[in-house]
Amino acid sequence: MQPLTTQMILVMVMIGIAIFLFIVEWIRVDVVAILMMVALPLLHLVTPKEAFSGMSSNAVISIIAVIIIGAGLDKTGLINRLVGPILRIAGTSKSRVVIAISVTVAGISSFMQNIGAAALFLPAIQRISKTTKIPLSQLLMPIGFSAILGGTITLVGCSPLILLNDLLEPFGLKPFHLFDVTPIGLALVASGLACFILLGRFILPQGSAESDEEESQDFLKNTLIEMGESYEIQTPVNYTDYREPVLVDDLKRRYLVNVLAMTEPPDFKVLSPTGDQEVRSDVHLLVYGRKKDIQRMVEVEEMRLKEAPDIFKGETEEGASGTVEAVVAPRSSLIGKTLREINLQDRFRVTPLAIYRGEEAYRAEIGDVPLSVGDAILIHGEWKRLQVLQHERSLLFTTPIDVELLRPEKAIFAGFWLAVALSMVLIFNIQLSVSLMTGALGMVVTRVLSIDEAYQSVDWRTIFLLAGLIPLGIATEKTGTAAWIAHAILCAIGDVQPIVLLTVIGVLSTIFTLVISNVGATVLLVPLVVNMAIAAHVDPRMAALVVGLATSNSFMLPTHQVNALYMGPGRYRSVDFMKAGLVISIVFIVVMIGMIKLIYGV
Amino acid sequence: MAIITISRGSYSKGKEVAEKIAFRLGYRCISREVLLDASEHFHIPEIKLVRAIHDAPSILDRFSHSQQAFIAYIRYALVQYVKEDNVVYHGLAGHLLLKGIPHVLKVRVIADLADRVRAEMKREMISEEEARSLLLKDDEERRKWTYALYGADPWDSSLYDLVVHVHKLTIEDAVEIISDAAVRAPFKTAKQVQQKMDDYGMACQLKAGLAHSFDNVGVKSEYGNILVYAKGNEHHVQRVRKKAKEIAGKMEGINELEVHAAHKLPPNFV
Repeated sequence: MQPLTTQMILVMVMIGIAIFLFIVEWIRVDVVAILMMVALPLLHLVTPKEAFSGMSSNAVISIIAVIIIGAGLDKTGLINRLVGPILRIAGTSKSRVVIAISVTVAGISSFMQNIGAAALFLPAIQRISKTTKIPLSQLLMPIGFSAILGGTITLVGCSPLILLNDLLEPFGLKPFHLFDVTPIGLALVASGLACFILLGRFILPQGSAESDEEESQDFLKNTLIEMGESYEIQTPVNYTDYREPVLVDDLKRRYLVNVLAMTEPPDFKVLSPTGDQEVRSDVHLLVYGRKKDIQRMVEVEEMRLKEAPDIFKGETEEGASGTVEAVVAPRSSLIGKTLREINLQDRFRVTPLAIYRGEEAYRAEIGDVPLSVGDAILIHGEWKRLQVLQHERSLLFTTPIDVELLRPEKAIFAGFWLAVALSMVLIFNIQLSVSLMTGALGMVVTRVLSIDEAYQSVDWRTIFLLAGLIPLGIATEKTGTAAWIAHAILCAIGDVQPIVLLTVIGVLSTIFTLVISNVGATVLLVPLVVNMAIAAHVDPRMAALVVGLATSNSFMLPTHQVNALYMGPGRYRSVDFMKAGLVISIVFIVVMIGMIKLIYGV
Repeated sequence: MAIITISRGSYSKGKEVAEKIAFRLGYRCISREVLLDASEHFHIPEIKLVRAIHDAPSILDRFSHSQQAFIAYIRYALVQYVKEDNVVYHGLAGHLLLKGIPHVLKVRVIADLADRVRAEMKREMISEEEARSLLLKDDEERRKWTYALYGADPWDSSLYDLVVHVHKLTIEDAVEIISDAAVRAPFKTAKQVQQKMDDYGMACQLKAGLAHSFDNVGVKSEYGNILVYAKGNEHHVQRVRKKAKEIAGKMEGINELEVHAAHKLPPNFV
């Protein structure tokens, strides 16, 4: 065995720092990655060229291309159109709903970012939960887990797998093909689903809002069921004569009624009026609220409720404005801030109506609620304003923004370029990054999305996380640290069966991915396990594959982005993830090792 | 048709003024009744309530959980009287406990320290030195109490509508001035004001119910929409929510109830 050098110790210290920072999260994970990218060449552990080689790696280019292709598919509404038919197939039986949506989500997740696939179906799942009375907690976890598992179906399904070929390169090992992992991925999705169908009642939280308490008073019932609607009302001619001035905010506080638009004499219309605007005599208001709240207001304030919108007919038409649900995404800059601080009203001229957190609906003084991951905000506004808000990308829009903004006529091009990219990989055996970038470029050229939209869709946090951690992998390998640790471990455990070694690697990867991010786990573990496998005379490609797959085995803690997103709406506690996650994680490792043995005969 | 609170230091003649106003206007004069009611309603010994509303908070200017709860009970009991209208309250901290009701005539009656010392010496049969030190200590306690709970100094005249110094003005003068003020328009119970009274009553009732189990909870009601702010994590808020719904289920006139997590409790909350 090689002696331990100063450089090796330095690399181990850097790994330690990275892991430490990943766990404590004093700085964001992508910043940790950039720190590594800068610190490693400064310590002469890698050359400056190597330090930034991550930026030009196939993995980074592939992920950029995958994101652009995903955005293109999203833009054409191709995926949104799936939702309707899927729901019809699903019907109202719980198992069928879970299977239908999970399979679709897994399929989408296999060539899109997992979080995107998970977010897409969130509002639909919430609707189903309401109409079928199946508790949301029974639906979201199986579907969320399927989104993560779906990432293992193709080599572009999740970041660790995209990264895998790049990490194998320094060892001169044969790269994997796009669909090499497909049988394993499908088996994983199927086994995960089977677990939930068969064991669901043991591993899923059983709490149901309806059965909790049966009370007669309205406000005690599950308020989520009752969404609001917009109504047009008129104030009497003498409205301001005999009462104190009533402001827009007063109506909101007293009756939980939001003013969406208001006429201003002589004939102006104010959209999304600010809270301090006064409600005058003989004006028309477009308001949003629940029927009973509106009725109460009309009665107390002596207003007139109109049958149908009249003055604001144009504004309420389908194409002009609407109400959307937007979820606070993991790592969003809005976490911890209040709506008052974000000031949607002034900045975007849209009106936040309610915040949904778990089973609770917040309507009163929502401006003061500090936002957390998974909160769904109901927002009303003109489509074009909402679109501007969506472009800011701090909120995940779960309701598809108006059809007009989508480009359904481009769906055929989007589908075509996806097919081109895939066939380049499959039939002509062209490298993944080149093929995918061709597909992305094709979409831009055929105007499925503009080049600016393509740039905007790229999530730079993911890119820098990948690119920044790659030099850490290089340093681990180049300095011989990986080999040293691998030998040390092998010496400690002695000779083992290949299958046992792979299982150990699987368990190790699972633990790593739960604590540090999946990308971090992959970058650190692949050089290590390849060395271990070579020394133990096991196929090193399989060892790396186990890492690539098992880093998606992130179910026991809500650290994975998808789990974080679903935790709020599903009202899960960490212990719920531990219970279901433990079962799924064990099944995951067993199925993965079984499938690898079956297919590759290790 | 008015609510008058008379804030006073000990031996400042406030009690006599209050009683005479009540007699003159035909109002009800209340002070200790409130504590007795709270004591009976919530099964707390009166002495504990007196301490909560009189003694300054112990360390770090913070009230203990039980002190906070006791204050909520007292406020609840006081609001029950006030709801009936036409009352003169000369117990402690009335102007602060009824902060959410707009048409309260807040009066402070003060007297010269020398007069007060003399009165105390006579009643308690103690030396001048002792009487003076007792009075000063008492004033200081009040100051600390008010400051800890409301961030205000009881000697700050902007807290009141009227400050009457009983020295050159006699007790009768004070009674006349205050009675005259009480019948003026801003202090009449109008329709909108009734709504605020009802809201305040509901908020106080819910707060009194919650205060037993939770501290750092703020309650506000507007037109029957009750908003509860609770400091703490989501799990804690969930517990507050459950309890609040349970209490609210037995109350009348509630339109909507929401419980939010909050970093800090706004000052306009009960």
